[in-house]
Amino acid sequence: MSPTEKLGNFTAHDAPDYCDVLQCMRCGFCLPTCPTFALTGRERSSPRGRVALARAVAEQKLEFTEAVKEEAFFCLDCRACTTACPSGVRAGEVMEICRSQAHQFFPLKHVGKSFREFVLQKMLPSPDLLEHSMLPARLYQKLGIQWLLRHSHLLKLGPEWVDKAEGMMPELHPPLRPQLADSIPAVGEQRGRVGFFLGCIMTLMYAEVSRQTVRVLTQQGFEVLTPKAQKCCGAPHLTEGDRDTARRIAQHNLDLFMALDVDAIVTDCAGCGAALKEYEELLEETGSHDKLAAFRGKVKDVSEFLAEQGLRTEGLKPVNKIVTYHEPCHLCHAQGVSKQPRDLIKAIPGIDYRELNEASWCCGSAATFSLKYTDESQQILDRKLQNVQSTGAELLVTANPGCHLQLAWGLKRAGLSQKVVHITELLGMAID
Amino acid sequence: MISKTAIGHLVDKLSAANVASEKEDLLVLGYDSTPGVHHLPEVAVYPTTTAGVLDAMEIAQHEGLPIVPRGSGTGLSGGSVPVKGGMVLCLNRMNRILEIDEENLTATAEAGVVTLDLFNATAAKGLFYPPDPGSQKISTLGGNVMEDAGGLRGLKYGVTRDYVMALKCVLPDGSILTTGGKSVKDVAGYAFKDLLVGSEGTLGIITEVTVKLIPPPQDKRTFLAYFNDIRTAGEAVSKIIAAKIIPSTMEIMDKATINCVEDYVKIGLPRQMAALLLIEVDGHPAMVEEESQGVKKILEQVKAAEVHVAKSVEEANSLAAARRTALSALARVSPTTLLEDATVPRSRLAETFAEIERLTAKYGLKVGTFGHAGDGNLHPTVLCDERDSDEMHRAHAFYDDLYDQVLAWGGTVSGEHGIGLAKKEYLARQIGPGGVKVMKRIKDAFDPKGLLNPGKIFADDDPCTQAHVEEGFRVSH
Repeated sequence: MSPTEKLGNFTAHDAPDYCDVLQCMRCGFCLPTCPTFALTGRERSSPRGRVALARAVAEQKLEFTEAVKEEAFFCLDCRACTTACPSGVRAGEVMEICRSQAHQFFPLKHVGKSFREFVLQKMLPSPDLLEHSMLPARLYQKLGIQWLLRHSHLLKLGPEWVDKAEGMMPELHPPLRPQLADSIPAVGEQRGRVGFFLGCIMTLMYAEVSRQTVRVLTQQGFEVLTPKAQKCCGAPHLTEGDRDTARRIAQHNLDLFMALDVDAIVTDCAGCGAALKEYEELLEETGSHDKLAAFRGKVKDVSEFLAEQGLRTEGLKPVNKIVTYHEPCHLCHAQGVSKQPRDLIKAIPGIDYRELNEASWCCGSAATFSLKYTDESQQILDRKLQNVQSTGAELLVTANPGCHLQLAWGLKRAGLSQKVVHITELLGMAID
Repeated sequence: MISKTAIGHLVDKLSAANVASEKEDLLVLGYDSTPGVHHLPEVAVYPTTTAGVLDAMEIAQHEGLPIVPRGSGTGLSGGSVPVKGGMVLCLNRMNRILEIDEENLTATAEAGVVTLDLFNATAAKGLFYPPDPGSQKISTLGGNVMEDAGGLRGLKYGVTRDYVMALKCVLPDGSILTTGGKSVKDVAGYAFKDLLVGSEGTLGIITEVTVKLIPPPQDKRTFLAYFNDIRTAGEAVSKIIAAKIIPSTMEIMDKATINCVEDYVKIGLPRQMAALLLIEVDGHPAMVEEESQGVKKILEQVKAAEVHVAKSVEEANSLAAARRTALSALARVSPTTLLEDATVPRSRLAETFAEIERLTAKYGLKVGTFGHAGDGNLHPTVLCDERDSDEMHRAHAFYDDLYDQVLAWGGTVSGEHGIGLAKKEYLARQIGPGGVKVMKRIKDAFDPKGLLNPGKIFADDDPCTQAHVEEGFRVSH
């Protein structure tokens, strides 16, 4: 759909493509895979129902109402329905576009609007601003204010999401981005050179995880280039419906990484990887097709990359642990990377791997969903924790910071003993 | 239009969480999986007990509202589309499996239980519930009973009807009827149960179903045979049946279907082949061995291009799962997939494929054909675009011609999808005006006010319930 052509009751700017909604033949194969439909049993909260709502707006049977907005944001965007759909309908992406529509139909009031614009348009696209913004949080932990507040129960007095957000915060280390050298050489025989895309949450909250990722990559024989000028991948903008800023930073990252002479662009954040792989569609009207396709071909999740290159297993030391794996939605459903992480885990000597029931069912984190819909998120999380518990695993491996935060918080709160680790942390344990 | 008072009564009886009247809720309960039929209901209810169903029905009767039952909305003939508006009665929250009786080999479940959930629950107890419609992952037991759903195992194990032992249903007169039971034999009076199975929600609302279970087969073997000509595949099926071998599954896919399914599942199906047969024999290991030899011999005789045997249970399951996605996968190709349910005596299969090919060429259409070849039940699917009225006219002409031939061969207009809205004219052609009159009299006896799922099965004279062609596309008002 060209940007000027108006589709039914949608606005002309960033409307769904009519063909994308017509593609749904309503077989309902998506219904049993949708966590929100499982919660409500309500058709409009299912992928089939959401696409039907979008189609009704397109066909002028319905205005873009508050309820359409509500369903667009209630969607976890977990993409389980995309995996389940034989017809190739992408309900999650249609809902992302509807979120952008929602902001056009229902602009936020003054303060909320300024805050949203500041976060999405100023803070996230600027790594420096972002890193400074975390300083108070680090001080808060370091100076013992956290301890004080938690024990005073003052946090319980605010809105529920504040308490939860505070509780989810892992132990913070200084951001990784400024610390990483532009180029880190390979160890042993060099097998290639990769550009490292360091996600915002990874550098800010999981600096030590990404440090392991870089270490694993270099130990596996890859030189790692980390361009400091990289910006947020744009995923928060897509989920919040700010497609214009997403396009702007996508173009920046695309140009930056394509100027590097690398074999692959690797990330250890499933959410970033999924967003990077969607640049091709996001920028299709403005970017060069060949360049976009070449970029798309290079972007790899770290598991996907290592499995493709073949894990060098000589010298790996045994990790004698019972391990299970939770699939991040943005890795298995959005990127189709499902077998590779399991293969890597099983390649580590000493591991007793237990398959997780409903491994690819969302954990309820889903960007800001866990803070916006705390009850629903908790119900989805409980289902996940029950499955984790029945594996008897000691370590719960995952590959995405959103899942990591949610699962670690959930396990701690439920008093369960499993520790959450990123897959590169697990690989790191096997590498001396 | 439903009154505010009536909605208030519904909320009082069923609770606010189980009544929906917002337009956004209603819009998405106006369709099922049948292309092109859609109509807005006035209210939707989600009863959680048989008593709740009765309450909802009483209020609807009082208001003169049509009542349309709905499971998961996966029907393929428009059975759950509320063409006359009224109340959609969603049964998907009545989803408890009430009992698995290991002494009598039966299971009793509420109408909203998902078919596969029942299968898994019985399998966990070492028992087997065979009916497996393509949509078993989400279709409900109640919907299966109402449409008498078939599936991939129909050839050997039969369809839903063959497993229903008892039904609990709410009738329009406000009575709750239980018909049948756990007795294996039962000839007490009219067989209401058999009348209700396949009645498409026009006689009563089923709330509980008791089904027969059987011991699972001890062994099975899965074959995949490729053909250079789809007629040869048809010939193979007829010969296997004539050799007195009844496989549990004998499914066919043509080239278009193979390619669409492969695009989705990516398991290495042969894209260049004209057709493939998925054949499964099961039972006692000795019998499986003997029947496998027989099947292999016939496939060689008819000169199948290649014959493969699944190496593992996983591989066999992935092949059956791939086949189940056929219809939805065909929807990748075009915005609209018009599918039919023609069924012929199995000796006519090769001729039916030839006729489909001839009509495809005659009307200049793109058609993908798949189906339960062993049952003679085919799903020729026209891949079209509802925005192209000329193409839609040709598609309907294609089916008109095909059904004339199918009926001339002694076939039926629906093997397993039901009549609903989509096939009322074809049913009239099959059973004649006399047949329609008798069916209408039965309907009147159960539902004198005509409030239960009106406008389905019979081509009545009310233009509002006629599925008709508008802008080349079958719609309902």
